[in-house]
Amino acid sequence: MGRRLLIGAIAAVAFVLGMVYAWRIAFADGTELLFDSGWWLVLLAPFLGVLAAGLTRRTAPVIEGDRVLRHDGPAMLEHWTHGIGTLVLLVTGIALGAFFIPSLLSQQQVWAAMNVHFIAVVVFMFGTFYYGANAFLSRKRFREHLPTKNAFKFTVEHYGHLLGNKKYDMPPEEKYFESEKIAYLLALGSTALVIVTGLLKVAAHVFDVPAWIMGVATPTHDVAMVAMGLFFVAHVLFGAILPMGWPMLRSMFTGYVSLDYAKSEHAGWVEQIESDDGEPIPIRTMEHPAA
Amino acid sequence: MAENDDRNDEADYSPQSGLSRRQFVTGLGGIGLGAVLGGVITGGLAQPASAVAIEGSEGYLVVDGHKCIGCDSCMMACSLTHHGDLSFSQSRIQITQNPFALYPDDLTVAQCRQCPFPACVEVCPTGACHVDAANGNVRTVDVGKCIGCERCVNACPFTPSRAIWNGLEKHAEKCDLCADTPFWNEKGGAGGKQACITVCHMKAITLQKDVPVQAGDVGYNVNLRTKDGSAQLNLPTGDDGFYTPAEIAAAKAAAAAAAAAAVAKVGH
Repeated sequence: MGRRLLIGAIAAVAFVLGMVYAWRIAFADGTELLFDSGWWLVLLAPFLGVLAAGLTRRTAPVIEGDRVLRHDGPAMLEHWTHGIGTLVLLVTGIALGAFFIPSLLSQQQVWAAMNVHFIAVVVFMFGTFYYGANAFLSRKRFREHLPTKNAFKFTVEHYGHLLGNKKYDMPPEEKYFESEKIAYLLALGSTALVIVTGLLKVAAHVFDVPAWIMGVATPTHDVAMVAMGLFFVAHVLFGAILPMGWPMLRSMFTGYVSLDYAKSEHAGWVEQIESDDGEPIPIRTMEHPAA
Repeated sequence: MAENDDRNDEADYSPQSGLSRRQFVTGLGGIGLGAVLGGVITGGLAQPASAVAIEGSEGYLVVDGHKCIGCDSCMMACSLTHHGDLSFSQSRIQITQNPFALYPDDLTVAQCRQCPFPACVEVCPTGACHVDAANGNVRTVDVGKCIGCERCVNACPFTPSRAIWNGLEKHAEKCDLCADTPFWNEKGGAGGKQACITVCHMKAITLQKDVPVQAGDVGYNVNLRTKDGSAQLNLPTGDDGFYTPAEIAAAKAAAAAAAAAAVAKVGH
């Protein structure tokens, strides 16, 4: 925990220093945009993420006394790099002026925001490709994000129960709520679109990319950003602002949730961990004993 | 305690490739990392400092401020032909008026000079601001490539900047000598018509092929009021509007030297 805290603090300080540097050099004479001078870092970051994933050994969720390991170190790394990168990209991207919104900046502030956008792109690309390669390595981890045929039924029961409708009981959700799994598809699609169109925009700093391609890439980037922003707002609302998400937020720093919480909110997941092979168990009926 | 989650490593082993999934991912990441770093290092070491010569424009707008009456017709024509809208903000030629100054300093016409060494083209990170070889090397903006960094707007050495920011369409733009006028059914560019010249009833604007002699930041010292040779050529004239043949030859030599100096600057 102490080691993880130290590494996290160093990474956070490095990220903040990087953003401050990026902002300040935009106001210096004779400097180039980081997208011009450091475009290659946008290519380097994904490969670094893939290599890091190849060298990473994941730790499976496990019950340890009265708590459950939910997020191992790599999960935290991929979550926070992708998440913080996304946050800074959204803020700077909107400030620069999305498709339907006028730019909030002018002159050198535009360059500064672009430079900060660049730093966030590098962090985002590392985190996203680190996650993607990890998902490629462990298909089980990827599958557990995908909605099942229970998606609609569980979501209605889950939120009906939360809203106090006594007709519903908490369904035996697995590691991720079915509603989260549906949102995951939106996040997956918008992230893929943002990356592809973003790479085209970076390529325009190096190559003579035809104008019609840029004419498609730029608004597509903006539309994907809107979808990503919607997911981000919902994610932060349910994961960090509403008290129901606080145990999970704490777990994103400590790695653990309490066993009681896990049994209450993710009964299906606890059952999976307790099963011998760790594979998803067959679909259960509502007779499952929810805590 | 915790166990290794990648229990599928063995199962992922492919007899055909001899690689496990993890080996493939690690190899891909390592090779990619090495390729990018290697490419950057060798590219930086192997490539000599490049010098790109920029062709001079085949046409230059010149304005005689003494003839301009500030009717703004040129500005409206520019905006109308390029954008289909009567908007002074979208005009690439700008007239500034100072009500406290006396004639002829009360009016200043700011048109793009199609610089021999265009700073706007030099600083553009995406090639959006470029020299359009298909239209007489006019310095113009490909709006599809513009990313909105406004570097060209700030790089222009003149005030007001000849590259302007179109806040409505969100891209930079500048005078293209009417090479691209969707709302005007005339051929423009260095070899065609220009809307501002066409509508100027004072005949204060014209197009010339030779590089005009620069007269500081305020523009060219142009005389379109007389019909003598120097005025037709838009060469600098004195207050009386006349120069001797020797003075005209000297002015031509100065213009050629300035152009040569600009080309030499590009070479460095």
